[in-house]
Amino acid sequence: MEVKLSRAAKKITSSSIQELSHLSQRCNAINLAEGFPDFPASPHIKNAAVSAINSDFNQYRHVQGLCDHVAKMAKEMHGLDIDPLTDVAICCGQSEAFAAAIFATIDPGDEVILFDPSYETYEACVTMVGGVPISSTAFYVVLCHFCFWDPIMALHIHVPLDPPQWTLDPSKLLRSFTDRTKAIVLNSPQNPTGKVFTKKELEIIAGECCRQNCLALTDEVYEHITYDNLKHISLASFPGMQERTVITSSLSKSFSVTGWRVGWAIAPAFLADAIRNIHVKVTDSAPAPFQEAALTALRSPPEYFESLRRDYQSKRDYMIKLLAEVGFKIDFIPQGSFFIFAELPDNCPLLDVDFVKKLILEAGVVAVPGQGFFNTNLPSTEGSNLSCFYQKRYIRFAFCKSDATLTMAAERLCKLLDAEGHLVLH
Amino acid sequence: MSKVSTENETTIQKTHQPLQVAKRLEHLQKDRGGASNLNDGTINLGRGIPNFDGPEFIKEAAIQAIRDGNNQYAPGKGVSDLNIAIAERFKKDTGLVVDPYKEVTVTSGCLEAIAATALGLINPGDEVILFSPSYDGYVGNFALAGAKIISITLHPPHFVVPIEELKSTVSRNTRAILINTPHNPTGKMFTLEELNSIAALCIENDVLVFADEVYDKLAYDMEHISMASLPGMYERTVTMNSLAKTFSLTGWKIGWAIAPPHLTWGLRQAHSYLVFSSPTPLQCATAVALRAPDSYYVEQRRDYMAKKEILVEGLKAAGFKVIPPNGGFCVLADHTPFGLENDVSFCEYLHKEIGVLAIPCSVFSLKNPEEGKNLVRFVFCKDDETLREAVQRMKKLKK
Repeated sequence: MEVKLSRAAKKITSSSIQELSHLSQRCNAINLAEGFPDFPASPHIKNAAVSAINSDFNQYRHVQGLCDHVAKMAKEMHGLDIDPLTDVAICCGQSEAFAAAIFATIDPGDEVILFDPSYETYEACVTMVGGVPISSTAFYVVLCHFCFWDPIMALHIHVPLDPPQWTLDPSKLLRSFTDRTKAIVLNSPQNPTGKVFTKKELEIIAGECCRQNCLALTDEVYEHITYDNLKHISLASFPGMQERTVITSSLSKSFSVTGWRVGWAIAPAFLADAIRNIHVKVTDSAPAPFQEAALTALRSPPEYFESLRRDYQSKRDYMIKLLAEVGFKIDFIPQGSFFIFAELPDNCPLLDVDFVKKLILEAGVVAVPGQGFFNTNLPSTEGSNLSCFYQKRYIRFAFCKSDATLTMAAERLCKLLDAEGHLVLH
Repeated sequence: MSKVSTENETTIQKTHQPLQVAKRLEHLQKDRGGASNLNDGTINLGRGIPNFDGPEFIKEAAIQAIRDGNNQYAPGKGVSDLNIAIAERFKKDTGLVVDPYKEVTVTSGCLEAIAATALGLINPGDEVILFSPSYDGYVGNFALAGAKIISITLHPPHFVVPIEELKSTVSRNTRAILINTPHNPTGKMFTLEELNSIAALCIENDVLVFADEVYDKLAYDMEHISMASLPGMYERTVTMNSLAKTFSLTGWKIGWAIAPPHLTWGLRQAHSYLVFSSPTPLQCATAVALRAPDSYYVEQRRDYMAKKEILVEGLKAAGFKVIPPNGGFCVLADHTPFGLENDVSFCEYLHKEIGVLAIPCSVFSLKNPEEGKNLVRFVFCKDDETLREAVQRMKKLKK
């Protein structure tokens, strides 16, 4: 019966994040792996959902007011003029908005540029429309073979961001474009690094998109979680970009309701229309009572967002201090999102996966090995190639957890320190 | 005023301009635009959305789940308690014992189960057989998966499965057959004989069955039979269902797919990249819903039978030739006694002059819209008063 699976389904492996989650559950480990809060959502938002359920907002519906608020927010944050009647598609989370955007725009044979490291789902979405991952270093050698074997594919092209600061090297970006490039995917603030792309970097990306006449698909779910007074800037706000950008975002991270599944896509009318069309085919409607509650959420006063940022910043600072003190290399302080991408100390001989397994078993703390965020389809013998070695030396810690959780994690880690105060795992 | 269109949208020409939508959209029909809530006094018997709400005990369970903090990502395959409740319910209904974690997947509505099944189990070019008329949500998803759709027409008044035609259509190239029972829009329920014939063909030709059983609790004249319960069929069937119709909560988007592990694996991959997971607190409440006592289902069936009676008798009295449904909450009626050109023009007339919304059956035709032109579809998932008012208005129809 194996043959009955679609080609696309066979290629995709299950989430490494979820697998480690199972091990950590068995060991009762403190979960600094999964990217969702363990503290409650704000009462005003929960009350809005309760009220919606009680007011019988439980049937299939499209809440136009939600589009209005999304458009208003885009105007306030980025100066974008969005027509709420035509340019916004409400979806079941940013996940569905992104998947629908991919289905709406990517054909077999199209190339999609992704940055490296990046959230593993983008690549998987492109794979679902018939893709095969190709890392940019192997690109020129391998491309010809793949095209002749099986011409009906969409290809991911990965542009590596340069460690330790995850800077964008414009020449690497430029090299990745071909006349088959259909779109570039940009996640900022970024998972897993916490990078917020700078104005200069965005200008470069925007300039290239316009020059190459390609689309941009952005994931801006961490848009309200930025630090040190840094503001998130949407790629769509650059000259020539609004007409070619699909912005995707959601309630999940901004309002700590990752389980509600309300998100949206903002795009020029013909694209939003296509995305809405696909959404209607796949799910028909986002959950009705939570669309209603989203109206309240998006009307939250500025104080709500300020306190969100403040709270997350203090958690970030706490975790940075802790991890640095126990020996991790933190060359890059996250500017946004709620992740720290920490490098293993030079004297630690382990690779990321083994380190995390020991961390679970010995310290009772779980985090995510960084290699899953990098795209290497190099053969395993090349895995020890020094230039890619760094890809197995990062650990992603999530700090979207209560202060009590973070304190307990600190206590557990501190039990395993050597004389110099550094973490030692056996 | 709803616009009803059976025309395909004009395709967007793909040029070297990259700023075009994907080619696969050329095969998707635009949403027919049937508005759900009209403010102009029109009685909407068009889309299958109840105008009454779900039971209090389920809503309370959702509220409790929100207050208890169940607001973060559920596992992709579902909240554990719901997987268990679905398996328990399935055992009660079919006698089949399934593993809640390996064989049950919670989806964002039955429609997403269909999308995940199509994308996870169908390769571009695979043949999929659909019966026509059919719920208009299937074609789009199979088109997304690049399937070659072959439709087999069910003819009024009894919509019997043409087994000889099916035999000559099924071949080694057939990947799957989709069966919707109780059936939308006809109200047909597949008989044991029909299911056995289809099963024999599937086993002989190694074909999968995708079974959409969302109306299974609204069975009036006969027992609902799940294809998966027939000998040799569980291993090749994906059985899909949802909260929506059984519990009148169409906006919650909680559904599920039950399938053997090797098929479950495929649909789960697609599901995880389509929506990642389904709304958590609503899943918790669905587990409570599925453990409702038998009396809930008995009462609900009784209520829907009463509604069916009001509408069917009312349509007959107004002059329609009615095809009474065996299950579901839709009824097809022949409008030709009223002398309008076709189903679309009849629905326009019905809306403008009588103030009642129905859906022209040609919308549900996969092969040829002409096949549906004599029939229109009414739903009766509305409170009794609304149905009586609609029937009253339709007395004004002139033959």
